[in-house]
Amino acid sequence: MTRRRTILAAFAACVAGVAAHAQPLPDPAFSEREVRQILAHGPWPPRRQHDASNRVSGRAAAIAFGARLFADPRLSRTGAIACATCHQPGRAYTDGLPRAQGLAPTDRNTIGLANLRLQRWFGWDGASDSLWAQSLRPVIDPREMGSDFVQVAAVVRADADLRRRYRAAFGAPPAAADEAVAIAVAKALAAYQETLVTGRTPFDNFRDALARGDVAAVARYPAAARRGLAIFVGKGRCNVCHLGPNFTNGEFHDTGIPFFAGPGRVDPGRHEGIRRMQASRHNLLGPFNDDPARSTATATRYVAQEHRNFGEFRVPSLRNVARTAPYMHNGSLATLREVVRHYSEIDEDRLHADGERILRPLHLSAAEIDDVVAFLDSLTD
Amino acid sequence: MLRGTTDRVENAHYEIVFVAVPSPIEPGKHFALDIAVCPRGGALPPGTLRVDAVMPEHRHGMNYRPVVVARGGGRYRADGLMFHMPGRWDLHFDLVTSAGTERLAAARHVE
Repeated sequence: MTRRRTILAAFAACVAGVAAHAQPLPDPAFSEREVRQILAHGPWPPRRQHDASNRVSGRAAAIAFGARLFADPRLSRTGAIACATCHQPGRAYTDGLPRAQGLAPTDRNTIGLANLRLQRWFGWDGASDSLWAQSLRPVIDPREMGSDFVQVAAVVRADADLRRRYRAAFGAPPAAADEAVAIAVAKALAAYQETLVTGRTPFDNFRDALARGDVAAVARYPAAARRGLAIFVGKGRCNVCHLGPNFTNGEFHDTGIPFFAGPGRVDPGRHEGIRRMQASRHNLLGPFNDDPARSTATATRYVAQEHRNFGEFRVPSLRNVARTAPYMHNGSLATLREVVRHYSEIDEDRLHADGERILRPLHLSAAEIDDVVAFLDSLTD
Repeated sequence: MLRGTTDRVENAHYEIVFVAVPSPIEPGKHFALDIAVCPRGGALPPGTLRVDAVMPEHRHGMNYRPVVVARGGGRYRADGLMFHMPGRWDLHFDLVTSAGTERLAAARHVE
């Protein structure tokens, strides 16, 4: 029995016993271990779970309030930039730019907003440990929306519709303290963004067919995507970091992308993200966590800052990745083909000398790169 | 008594029994360890127990620093562990006594 004994062959043999028109074996075949790994990328969609740290998570009135705020440019200092300016619904909640442009140019690519309840850390550097804390960050960042607690609270208090929505979501009028109003706004924004869940994809159909042994349905998955998947879970070992139903381990890695942000400037990535998160009174150990038990604060409590975190950035989900170009933390790679080529020919000298040793050059052929891209395309809903 | 499926590691001086909570350990998910330490042959009970883990193949440790709390009677609880990648991880149990530090290691494979 070879190691690459095919589960699919077993399915085919089983079906052949009861149906004369059994489909030919899909190619490539997967080992038992690879099948387990493929099945671990589902099921999809995930079961919805509310965020215990946000008392309005999942509440319809808060979701509606958050959707309204998401498109409201008055939350910015100039009144010209809304959350939706960069996170555009028609672009998978990105902006198509290499680096986000708010009130000033930023150093990082706009991350798409989807499946956010599955995340542990937010932002490329994980400087926020909750979606509501992350929702506040760009509102008050001088380069993005440039606002402050006073302005955000004033906008909500001065607008009858926003006041009504606030009361409906939180069961009380806007609080006296500006910071408390701003945090509430952030929690409504989070409640809305939690509803942005990607749909089922050709890969999900393949994965479920594999799980139930449906040979005909398995065979409908394009051959190129199957070959790309074989590389993804095989010699590419991409699923070491891009694991689980959301295709990410939610953690941070150095992927050999330069972290020079401009002349004389570097982007320290995760190293600074941990420091900022720990210093923030808006983290999950602070006074604004609505969960008295701090049940969602495990990562915050135990995260450790290491020297190797310098230049590490969060592993993004791959769901709908075909719609979120350009790629990497600085938007430096324009296409998925460039991303696959980057990993295939990775320059190990650019990786941290004291960092992890995971990435190795694969030297994929042009056809293999096409196959991996076909697989990534199949993660689009 | 530790509840759940236990693991064991031992040397001439100590036997350590531990169970992961929740179990089995899943990559990318936090877990805790309930641990019982039994000195052998007159070995000193540890004054301190430290727990850590590394992934030798990838040359990195965890992204989280667990905290170990003694619960009395040779029992401990380690909170805050996470294996953030699938593959082989080596759990390190460092037993600190007045005579020095002794390490027991247990390899675990997570998928």
